[in-house]
Amino acid sequence: MLNEERVILMTKMASYEEGEGKKSMALGRYFRGDYISIQLLRAFFCGTIAYLLGFGLYVLYDFETLIADIYKMDLFVFAQNIIIWYAVFVVGYCVITYAICAYRYARAKKSLKLYYHNLKKLDSLYRQ
Amino acid sequence: MSNLLEIREKLKLLYSRNEFILVPVLKFMLAYLTICMVNGELGYMGRLDNLGLVLIVSLLCSFLPNGCIILFGAAFSLMHLYELSLEVAVAALAIYLIMFLLFFRMGSKDSVILIFTVLLLALKIPYVIPIAVGLLATPLAAVSVGCGTVVYYMLTNISDNATIISSMGADEATAKLRLVIDSVLGNRAMIVMIAAFAITIVVVYLVRRMSIDYSWSIAMIAGVIIDLVVLLVGDLVYDTHLSLGMAVLGSIVALVIAKILEFFRFCVDYSRTEKVQYEDDEYYYYVKAVPKMSMSAASKTVKRINTQRRPVRAVEEEDDDMTVAPPRRVNRSVVTERTGGRNGHTRPSSGRAGGRSVTISRESDEGAAEDYEEI
Repeated sequence: MLNEERVILMTKMASYEEGEGKKSMALGRYFRGDYISIQLLRAFFCGTIAYLLGFGLYVLYDFETLIADIYKMDLFVFAQNIIIWYAVFVVGYCVITYAICAYRYARAKKSLKLYYHNLKKLDSLYRQ
Repeated sequence: MSNLLEIREKLKLLYSRNEFILVPVLKFMLAYLTICMVNGELGYMGRLDNLGLVLIVSLLCSFLPNGCIILFGAAFSLMHLYELSLEVAVAALAIYLIMFLLFFRMGSKDSVILIFTVLLLALKIPYVIPIAVGLLATPLAAVSVGCGTVVYYMLTNISDNATIISSMGADEATAKLRLVIDSVLGNRAMIVMIAAFAITIVVVYLVRRMSIDYSWSIAMIAGVIIDLVVLLVGDLVYDTHLSLGMAVLGSIVALVIAKILEFFRFCVDYSRTEKVQYEDDEYYYYVKAVPKMSMSAASKTVKRINTQRRPVRAVEEEDDDMTVAPPRRVNRSVVTERTGGRNGHTRPSSGRAGGRSVTISRESDEGAAEDYEEI
């Protein structure tokens, strides 16, 4: 005998498992700290590469001026500025990444909680 | 309205039944349009402007994830730019990589939004983007919209300056690079457009999430007004040469498209709103329930059950001669018709489907009733 409530619940859960649930389950395997740490590490590397690319473009953009002024400018101050900008850029990017990842983790955990609640409910329906 | 609702239900049914075919077909069309747009806008490498190649790549994209459409689109554009100038291609590649590493990595699931942004900007109807994205996605999708806008303006600027770039010699490599970078960083029209889109997306998202009646309609109108205001202010401050007539016309088109989206995504009946209040041990609940407008599509299921009469042995006692009577053809058809609500009445989606009528008709010879098999 088909139980309508059970079928509806199972359909909902299957739909979740196929869609949003895939990512949420992958995310739910991590502790919050681990997940955010991994994402921050990735953000650090991506930010560094992006900064290097941006710096490369800047050098190419102002190549003629840089070559002309290279003996006039204070290279130590120039390098210091580059490092300060790099630190500001990477830290800013990591802060944004932290906020987004924390939000995503909280949302995924919430949806997983609902999913497990539905699993329990399904179990209780089978026991009836 | 009831007819529209019925059409909507039929379309939904059609989609759910043929999803496994429709999704690849739609992806194929999107990839084909994207690559054709890139070829049409740039088109410096003649070998890429080949229908066979475009079809093969589009076919590949139809089975691969959505991100591959962006990947192939970027690859095509880079190859075209390489044909134009190596320096331009290198600068474009660096800009693509920066966008991927910083922004698109975060919202890679919004790849379709990026593709649509580029396509709609190319089709000169960009005002649809922020309204539709605000209604259907989250504010994070503004990143994808921004990336799409950057890509479009960069490619358009390079295309506009193609003759200047090609006339430059090898000794002017930095000038070529400067041109590409200026097309991104120094393009005020682009920056104003990105700002307007981002603000509009956030406003539309916030308003449509509010617990007010007609929130979606208010959100789209507010979005259109905000979008226009930001664009006008940007035009006044940075002199972006905004065409006011086109902006207003585009906003009207955006409103029409947004209403269509609303009909498919958020069609509710505010006249039947219910407000209930209850409590449990820990909380008081103030619940506002707005029923969805829905109507089940009329569907007719015809079930035919044909039964053949069992061969009956007629024994003719008089002649003592056994003959087998020919089987009489007996048709018994059961017609089950299921229809939805009519006359424009709407019903809550949780309700039962419409009436069910069962017609049993039979065609048989007289006196054959006793010969039916029980079904």
